[in-house]
Amino acid sequence: MTANSTTDERLADAATGEQTDEPLLRVESLTTEFDTENGTLTAVDDVSFTVDPGETVCIVGESGSGKTVATESITRIINQPPGRITGEVWFKGENIAACSERTLREVRGGEIAHVFQNPQEAMNHCFTVGWQIVEAIRIHEDVPEAAARERAIELLDRVGIDNASARFDDYPHEFSGGQKQRVMIAMALATSPDLLIADEPTTALDVTVQSQILDLLAELQGEFGMAILFVTHDLGVVAQLADEVIVMYAGKVMERGSVYDIFERPSHPYTQALLGCLPEYGGAGGGIPGILPDPTAPPPGCRFADRCEFVVPDCREGDHPSELPATAADHTVACIHYGPEGDAGPIRDATPGSDRGHR
Amino acid sequence: MGLLRYILARTAWAVAVTFIIVTITFLLIALAPDPNISQAATQAALQGGDPTEAAQREAEMRGLDQPLHIRYIDFLQGVYTLEWGWSDNRAQPVTEALLEGIYYTAQYSIPWTILTIIIGPIVGLYSAANMYSWKDHLATGFAFAGWAIPNFFFALILVLIFSVWLNLFPLSYDPSAPVFSLQNVHQLVLPVFVLVTGSIGAIMRVSRNESAEFQNAAFMKTAKAKGVSPLRAYALHVMRPTLVPLSTTLVGQILVIFLGSSLLVEIVFGIPGLGRITFDALINQDTNLILGATLLFTFIAVMGNLVEDIVFTILDPRISYDDR
Repeated sequence: MTANSTTDERLADAATGEQTDEPLLRVESLTTEFDTENGTLTAVDDVSFTVDPGETVCIVGESGSGKTVATESITRIINQPPGRITGEVWFKGENIAACSERTLREVRGGEIAHVFQNPQEAMNHCFTVGWQIVEAIRIHEDVPEAAARERAIELLDRVGIDNASARFDDYPHEFSGGQKQRVMIAMALATSPDLLIADEPTTALDVTVQSQILDLLAELQGEFGMAILFVTHDLGVVAQLADEVIVMYAGKVMERGSVYDIFERPSHPYTQALLGCLPEYGGAGGGIPGILPDPTAPPPGCRFADRCEFVVPDCREGDHPSELPATAADHTVACIHYGPEGDAGPIRDATPGSDRGHR
Repeated sequence: MGLLRYILARTAWAVAVTFIIVTITFLLIALAPDPNISQAATQAALQGGDPTEAAQREAEMRGLDQPLHIRYIDFLQGVYTLEWGWSDNRAQPVTEALLEGIYYTAQYSIPWTILTIIIGPIVGLYSAANMYSWKDHLATGFAFAGWAIPNFFFALILVLIFSVWLNLFPLSYDPSAPVFSLQNVHQLVLPVFVLVTGSIGAIMRVSRNESAEFQNAAFMKTAKAKGVSPLRAYALHVMRPTLVPLSTTLVGQILVIFLGSSLLVEIVFGIPGLGRITFDALINQDTNLILGATLLFTFIAVMGNLVEDIVFTILDPRISYDDR
């Protein structure tokens, strides 16, 4: 695929990609570091994952685990410097981590769109929402102003903004938080992207609005046939949306698997601890004791060792454990207890909520 | 229509402000001894006449024997009908003298104002985009230097170097040069340069600091994620919000330079503009002309503030026009 290939060609590329079982997005050994005054901070450390066309992948983890940085490193939205991104990002058969800034700009917004956490600040307060959506369209497509305007109004209407043609000329501050996020979604969909990266899009909204936005995203996913990479710390949202789940902790992938595996057969002590915080799994709302390790000087061995109840001396040695098979072929866990010399039995027995009897 | 009402209200307020200033000016003059009366009295005494009688006659001739409120109304009428009196020193009506001054002042004021408005924000934005690099330090150093050096002193140094020593620019200003001629451009290079360096510093600093804030705003991440190029992101997404706080500094700063520094710069370069006329009127105690110049500068300042208020409100869509 080249920078000036047409949409048809791109679709054809995507179609052949599906036939050869090539995922839409394949991230290999993604590492993102920041140069800070206290040394090099490794926010994302050797992370790999894939997203298939039309699939929803959730990256879950507590604040500071590197989820956001990982997704913003895909299209290199992170400023470099101070950031430093290495690794490969294969999108529709092309390594976009190696392509020029110019080519990448075609991908950004054109094929991979973003929706961010805080809609209050994500739009420029000096331009009307209509102007901002039209900009997103006209950067990628050579359409006349009037046609772009018409499409922007259609999109606003589709995402549930009442009286869209009148609201086109309103400024962001004239919209409520939930409406702003709807506008942001409309902006992201303006060019029918193949992948939507949604970074905690409901965190800043109140609970009733949250579920509306999630429903909207699910509907639009079907309509637009796009894959969604969804970042959240909310396991309830994961259960509602995800096909595949990636559990991150301190810049590392701890466990990955289908949504069923993660919720019914959580295998990493960290995943279990996360689930254990949920009330329906018997959590008292106290959270996981302890704090994240220092990202500028991560300890040797497993990053979670200091907070893990199954810790053994071997956990604190060598590199972070590599991902090992847990319960299914596509269900892996980065924990030495699942290795040839480990015994994962006690961990499996400790699965939170195993005595719930319903779900 | 909120905006129209807001502008009308602001304009009415500006008129009220000029009215207050005119009244204060009148009171100051009414309270101060009139030099013409004491001069008439001295004259009479020297010629053997009655100084008291001569003073009274002079006062009557100038209408000073009228009650204060009548004189006040006359004065107001004069101010608002542009009957600003006769300049004894220049032997012409005050308004005519001021118009002549504006003709010359505008020839260099319009260029430096335009240059400052264009260059200042662009350099500030460039500085912010390259923050803490040598380019930023160079621009910042330039801004502070221009800001710190008194304009008239800088003008003197430039005249000494470029006109006296290097002979690159004319030493004296030729008022007869046609406005749109190379000769005129040539002789206005130094004054325009001095005033641009003097005014641009504050504007560069404000645009640098404001755009530094906006270039890291969340909406810049959105713009980048949309595929907006860096140039477009800076020129539109950063520049536009920067203009809001900048507009207040811009008008204020330009007024300060216009009202204060122009006067001294005109004297250094020998330009017969408003500043020079005011200076001569002060030296020669030409009361009517001083008054006229003061009123003119006051009106310009009031107008500038009015423009600033309106521009600020139009630029920031979040400001509501209602209840103001």
